[in-house]
Amino acid sequence: MSTGVLLLAHGPLADAMLATARAVLGTLPLESCALGLTLGETSEQFARRAAQAARSLERGDGVLVLTDLYGATPANVYDRLRNEGVSLRRVSGLSLPMLLRVYNYAELPLDELSRTAAAGGRNGVIEGDA
Amino acid sequence: MLEQRIVVSNRLGLHARAAAKLSHLLGGFRAHATLAFGKRSVNAKSILGLMTLAAPLGSELVLTLDGKDELEALAATVDLFARRFDEGE
Repeated sequence: MSTGVLLLAHGPLADAMLATARAVLGTLPLESCALGLTLGETSEQFARRAAQAARSLERGDGVLVLTDLYGATPANVYDRLRNEGVSLRRVSGLSLPMLLRVYNYAELPLDELSRTAAAGGRNGVIEGDA
Repeated sequence: MLEQRIVVSNRLGLHARAAAKLSHLLGGFRAHATLAFGKRSVNAKSILGLMTLAAPLGSELVLTLDGKDELEALAATVDLFARRFDEGE
């Protein structure tokens, strides 16, 4: 599978998350792109950048969109990406466990990758010791 | 099925980059792989699973491998631990 991974978040968060995953894993098994909503940028401007990134990540297996906060602009622009002719799934609540799990299961098709991302996020929250 | 005791000998323990290397290495083999530390046993091909072991320097782990290429997987894993995950300390 060559699913694309598009990280959409506030400020430098998406960039930092991707850079950290790269530092942990060495090379990323899926083509990935991080976009941060900057202060003063309109949602239309951000949506255009996100749409362009989604198109460039599409290799026929779709693009997994990971966003930091459900209901916030980086997550909300997802609705405007759906007219781009790209197969998409969105998972919100971006975290390092979620992202590492996505790359750990890079061979899964988009549907399953989306589910495994959500499970990674949920299971990455551990109170006290595991 | 093979079972092998392995001691963590790199200073930082089974931290994120080490877990990434181990899961990546074992992901290249068909054999099922589990790693146990104390009472906790996880899928050794999963980075997040390995991270939950939170195994520091000196930890005694038990690696279990089951599959046709278990011997090769064991040799590669023992080598990775012996090389201290190429961390130099």
